[in-house]
Amino acid sequence: MLALAGIVSLCLPSFLSAQKQVQPKANAGGEVTVFAAADMQPVLEVLGPYFERRTGIKLKVSYGASATLAEQIVNGAPADIFFSADFVFAEHVVAANLADAVNPTPYAKGLLVLWERNDSRFKPLSLDTLARKDLKSVAIANADRAPYGRAAVSALKKMGYFPNVAPHLVEAESVGQAAQFALSGNAELAFLSQTIAMSPKYKATGSFVLFPLSVYPDIRQCAVVMKASSHREQAHVLLNYITSDEIQNHLPELGLQKIQ
Amino acid sequence: MTTPLDSSALMLTLRLATLTTVVLLLVALPLAYLIAFGKSRLRFFLEAVVALPLVLPPTVLGFYLLVALGPLTGPGRLLRDLLGHTLAFSFTGLLVGSVVYSLPFAVQPIVAGLRSVDRRYLEAGATLGASPLQVFLRVALPLAKSSVLAAAVLAFAHTVGEFGVVLMLGGNIPGRTRTLSIALFDLIENGQFHEANQLALLLLLFSTAALLLLYARPRTQAEVA
Repeated sequence: MLALAGIVSLCLPSFLSAQKQVQPKANAGGEVTVFAAADMQPVLEVLGPYFERRTGIKLKVSYGASATLAEQIVNGAPADIFFSADFVFAEHVVAANLADAVNPTPYAKGLLVLWERNDSRFKPLSLDTLARKDLKSVAIANADRAPYGRAAVSALKKMGYFPNVAPHLVEAESVGQAAQFALSGNAELAFLSQTIAMSPKYKATGSFVLFPLSVYPDIRQCAVVMKASSHREQAHVLLNYITSDEIQNHLPELGLQKIQ
Repeated sequence: MTTPLDSSALMLTLRLATLTTVVLLLVALPLAYLIAFGKSRLRFFLEAVVALPLVLPPTVLGFYLLVALGPLTGPGRLLRDLLGHTLAFSFTGLLVGSVVYSLPFAVQPIVAGLRSVDRRYLEAGATLGASPLQVFLRVALPLAKSSVLAAAVLAFAHTVGEFGVVLMLGGNIPGRTRTLSIALFDLIENGQFHEANQLALLLLLFSTAALLLLYARPRTQAEVA
């Protein structure tokens, strides 16, 4: 963990230099309303300030469960760009004929982890902790609405832990609330995105283990820009920034994998 | 998936509202007595504290129950050891949250009822040698009994309608913390509008019936006067 922290802090200044290589668009400035999946909060909190300083475009971000945000957008919420935590909910917006492209744009691959506080009674943490008979509460994001919740159910079933864990699952509205349940000590374990588990607060307070990629379908995080947006150009500047090689190469430090 | 006739959510909600109402009446009677008949100047303070949940965002209450009474604090650990589980994600937690959140709905009608009792009856009781407690229980309360009914109806209905605290604290566990209002939220979020419509209609009819019962109830002598 300490080594990881070191890598992140060493690499942060390089974001600055990386951005200098990207030419700013002519029509910089303005404000973009971003709807982003809860797993993106730690990522955008790091990247946002760099992006704003470089482009002069201000970001106004709302976080939530991907399905909830997609539903809000379909019902007329004024988002300019939507960062879903998967393909399905981004595709919902496309299917509603609200996106300015025929396909959602993949921008990262998400990783599912199991997280616990440092003062947990399960030490050392491993995925086998999920087989323990004395589990009390395990926080999970709503599997219908949050891709990380869906991935967690799939992983539990594939690994055979589901019958043991199911009676102890406490459901959160989004992966962000699942994280808060565990951070506040109310839940003993939580299925989180690696982005949250690697954010400074969670890294200092707890530890995590990754699930093998083979036990859940790829979390292919996709974004769409809204057709009706009055800031479409700025929204594309943001999307291009996130999908640029410079930022993609830094995604692993933020808990995501780069898109192929 | 939640179905409209989610009987476990219905039973849970009824159980929660009933227990909350019982606890609240036990708590509200002495509080209302102190506020209505207390001699201490502090009773204004008490009245303000009781009214707090009317203006406090449910998130404030949810936050305190989740964090201040969570397992990271001394009182929270004590509670956890006493209960065998955390307040969060438990029926007990919802009960505690509901009692606090519906407190003014139980206390305020009783205070109003007691205040409207003609003082002469109380003084007559006292002159005949009844202790203040006896005057309260055998003179004031019977005269204000309709306000106790009002308190019970309001506390029950308000608990059925509770949402924010349950959302923050509950963990949406079927049969344990998934109340009707949460089940409705789930249906809406999942786009099951037809089922949501049925459940919303049920809650609307229930709330209307509760308020009709409240306003159509026979008024006590004290209130008529």
